Amino acid sequence: MNQDLIIGIAGAGGDGVVSAGESLITAAALEGFYGMMTKSFGSQIRGGEASCRLRLATSPVLNPNGPLDVAVALNWEDFRRFGAELPVQAATVVIYESKTGVGVDNLPLEGVRPAEVFSVPITDMAAHNAGTDKAKNIVIIGLLAGWFGIGRESTLAGIRKKFAKKGSAVVEGNVRAFQAGLEFAEAHPLQEDRKLTPPQKRRSGRLLTDGNDMCAAAAIFSGCTFFGGYPITPSTEIMQFLDREIWKYGGTVLQAEDEIAGLGAVVGASFAGKKAMTATSGPGMSLMAEMLGLASIAELPLVCVNVQRGGPSTGMPTKAEQSDLFQAAFSAHGDCLRPILAPTSVGDMFGITVESFNLAEQYQTPVIVLSDQEIAQRKETIDPIDTSAMQLVERRRPTEAELVSYARFKLTESGISPISHPGMAGGNYLAAGIEHNELGRPTANGEMHAQMNEKRFRKFNSLKERRDLFVIEGDPDAPIGLVSWGSVAGVAKEALRLARAEGLRVKLLIPKLLYPVAEPVYQDFFASVKRGLFIEQSFQAQLYRLVRMYVDVPALVKPLAKSGSNPIQPLEVLERLRAMVTALQGNRNHHQPELIEV
Amino acid sequence: MTTSQLVAAPKFQPGDFKSDLKPIWCPGCGDFGVVTAIMRALAALGRPAHEIAFVSGIGCSSRIPGYTTAYGFNTVHGRSLPIAQGIKLANPELLVLVASGDGDGFSIGGGHVAHVIRRNIDLTYIVMDNQIYGLTKGQLSPTSRRGRKTVTSNLGSLEEPVNPLLYVMGYGASFVAQGSPADMAGLARIIEEGIRFPGFAFINVQSPCVTYGEEEQQLKAQKTRISSLESIGHDPSNRSRATELAREYGTKLYTGILYRNPNPSPTYGQLVTERRQLLSKDAVSRQELLKRFSPE
Repeated sequence: MNQDLIIGIAGAGGDGVVSAGESLITAAALEGFYGMMTKSFGSQIRGGEASCRLRLATSPVLNPNGPLDVAVALNWEDFRRFGAELPVQAATVVIYESKTGVGVDNLPLEGVRPAEVFSVPITDMAAHNAGTDKAKNIVIIGLLAGWFGIGRESTLAGIRKKFAKKGSAVVEGNVRAFQAGLEFAEAHPLQEDRKLTPPQKRRSGRLLTDGNDMCAAAAIFSGCTFFGGYPITPSTEIMQFLDREIWKYGGTVLQAEDEIAGLGAVVGASFAGKKAMTATSGPGMSLMAEMLGLASIAELPLVCVNVQRGGPSTGMPTKAEQSDLFQAAFSAHGDCLRPILAPTSVGDMFGITVESFNLAEQYQTPVIVLSDQEIAQRKETIDPIDTSAMQLVERRRPTEAELVSYARFKLTESGISPISHPGMAGGNYLAAGIEHNELGRPTANGEMHAQMNEKRFRKFNSLKERRDLFVIEGDPDAPIGLVSWGSVAGVAKEALRLARAEGLRVKLLIPKLLYPVAEPVYQDFFASVKRGLFIEQSFQAQLYRLVRMYVDVPALVKPLAKSGSNPIQPLEVLERLRAMVTALQGNRNHHQPELIEV
Repeated sequence: MTTSQLVAAPKFQPGDFKSDLKPIWCPGCGDFGVVTAIMRALAALGRPAHEIAFVSGIGCSSRIPGYTTAYGFNTVHGRSLPIAQGIKLANPELLVLVASGDGDGFSIGGGHVAHVIRRNIDLTYIVMDNQIYGLTKGQLSPTSRRGRKTVTSNLGSLEEPVNPLLYVMGYGASFVAQGSPADMAGLARIIEEGIRFPGFAFINVQSPCVTYGEEEQQLKAQKTRISSLESIGHDPSNRSRATELAREYGTKLYTGILYRNPNPSPTYGQLVTERRQLLSKDAVSRQELLKRFSPE
């Protein structure tokens, strides 16, 4: 029996690879398994290669990575295009289309000879049973259901539901294709039983969703009534969801002529008093810089979601990367500070989006949410979200007394000033990109500029005390510390658990608030730390470098950073942790110079 | 409307819309006349200042919102229209005015004009066209004539100017007018008509730069060649004639309403409001929002 199963399927676009993954994860969710599914494509619109990774388990899945337990190849050329995204090892069960003509002893995989290999006439089985080779993916579902025990009933019900509109002949054809796969698996048992252990509970109230949909749903939950933006991969599903839904809640979606106008309209909607947002990816963020600066100096709340992809420039639109942190922190000229939040999973995206609207309103500032392609587009089984516990924050309106001689940018102790909006009698003021005095009037006075700059930074002081925006796991006094963020935090979490299961003393810090850098949180975390890693998906290790601008990070805490789409594997982190433990012990035993205090 | 309302004293005087901020403009700048005309139009319209959002970009002309008592937003270069449309769509009840100059409107922000026209968002867009960059001390503008010598075209401009009237006519604007501070009453009237027009209204104002402008653009010279469209018998509902007259930008100075679509399409704000009303019955409670993601 098996607690954790990783499946990789690859083929040509149109083979139904992703659709097979979706059917399987839905069936698994109905059976009570946790699951995570990532899709990966070439950047072609139709055709080209397509793959999905599916990880199913009896406990929550932390990341989609790890070597494959099962590899399914509809053709080997496309399978090999995914490289390290679909790693095959000796223990991987390999299933492939026999039409490829490849012998079971002669797989085109370098440096690995999987022990169990099945050449299956997938296309013929589809054509024979369903009358069309389009049912190839249904045969694959049958094979996987048979060999790995992914709920037959739920799978069958899913197939019936999916094809119901196409008439009974199509439904029955697909059911036969499924059964053919199942029977093939039963006729060719695996050397050992690798079926997933059935979950204890079936009905769970869990959700099956992705990060972009969670972001959009959270925006509506937060009371967002304006979205302005421009379509861009991999963020567009946020705009698409809102365009279906936001009207029902008195809102508007504006597909602008470019990202400048998109965020411009958001700035306008916020000035008019509404909660407003945009969603984009790196190239769009590059265009939005001037509007971010304007919203900072005019102190207007808004949420800007950047679903990160590989960069620079067009980069890799369909692959995740965490390389836009510097841009989020430092784009737009002049001294200014914008909070940056990052979700760590699909489920987390809901709460982070709600939090971003709250921070925007509370601090009258643009807030950047750094999602990434993986969180945005992977399907994940998530535990129910308790929205009843979530508070919504509204911006600080002027009181009647404050409206008598209203000062929009009053230099208050907290740095937060009362904000009116057009339509509010007595609150008339001039908002501007130009520096202004407390009344909002333009000024070129250096003293006033210094005071206003200081105010616009001071107002965030209380934000750095939000320890609830950080997750710390593991042994609090551990000498080894990991720091990770965004989707990669799931890899770090799994590595932490593996290490602790071996008795290693390790801890993990996951900041969800990336900027401003909360110095006290890092200082406390590093107090016991001698060695460690910042685990990130960027060439430069951007969080590592950003934190070092503000915090004295111990010298032997180093980055483990890779460019996008080269997954960081939990086992790779574990090996590094073992090596660090050895080094620490070595230091203690041999009194190496680096530990001698002068 | 009853007789008593007709004879009642107007709710507002132009001075009610004047702020106590002192303009940065040079003495004799055409923009003084534009702000006066806007205040006259607003007084005639009778909307209180707090229901008005006045948006601008960057340039001498873009300082204008601060000289009125409306809610003002002096934004960034070229982006007044995108920001103004966000305001209008977020709250269609507001009266939204946009002011900009020839550089703001037809160079850096020129790309936005087409889109705000095709969406027919109910904004009134007043461009103070002085054919020069005044705030930055006299560089070439997109409406500067070919051959014009400036500090960035020392040997004379090599470019044809943009024709703002033809530009917006080309994209299908429903209300197009031109005015000048040389005719204050006429300018106030077309601004008022532009605001009253249900949809996007474009008003080009020949507002001379006294410091860097050429002699023939000054108000004194304008008065000798200005010609009202009304006086030449132009029918503003005649689109093809309006387009012909628009071509004469730069050679003739026509003022008045060049084109007013007799059957304008519904405004974006109206369509948005209708859509919201139609769909509001389908809204589920916040707590139920997540149910759709159940795998059941």
